[in-house]
Amino acid sequence: MTDFATLIRLLVKHDIDFIIIGGAAATTHGSARLTQDLDIVYGRTPQNMARLAACLVPYNPYLRGAPPGLPFQFNASTIQRGLNFTLTTELGDLDLFGEIPEGGRYEDLIPHTITINVFGATCRCLGLRRLIEVKRAAGRPRDLEAVAELEALLEEREDRSHHR
Amino acid sequence: MMRGLQPDPVIEAYKRDIDRSLLRENLKLTVEQRFLKLSELQRLATELRKAGSVSAS
Repeated sequence: MTDFATLIRLLVKHDIDFIIIGGAAATTHGSARLTQDLDIVYGRTPQNMARLAACLVPYNPYLRGAPPGLPFQFNASTIQRGLNFTLTTELGDLDLFGEIPEGGRYEDLIPHTITINVFGATCRCLGLRRLIEVKRAAGRPRDLEAVAELEALLEEREDRSHHR
Repeated sequence: MMRGLQPDPVIEAYKRDIDRSLLRENLKLTVEQRFLKLSELQRLATELRKAGSVSAS
């Protein structure tokens, strides 16, 4: 099980530049679907990657699905050499994206985010419209139901604001 | 109709089965309450999986 509250608080406490995307972003916008992990896009500056590594190391990040015992060390240079990581941690599953298809990097996504206050922390989450566009562009069959729900949420939201 | 997004016929077909009453209830909640509800759902799913594996063995 993923401890969303502790993970989000941890990232905010360590001043990580990140944006919540994926299923957790869908939850933020009102989705009723179950998601098992926290997906984030993180900033690729050396300082941010160093902070990200330092804050996660105490929770033993490891490559999800990889056989145990690999000489995997999660540190700033690992992040620098890679881009996207699907991790297990003692706080649950965490997916780190340096870049997402059709969405770009952290800096590209910033204008399409909203600021949320959750579990005593303030952080960025991808806006509903951009989340739909990114998921549509990914074109994965397994996302179709999720996109349909997100679009229904957008319609509900627009209906509500129209009737106000 | 969503402003600025072209309807996709496949997604429109999926949309017909969405339980909008569930979404309307979620929209009444705060973001934090939505995450707490997700955690409860995760806990339930974990328990059901455990129960399923015990009864299968």
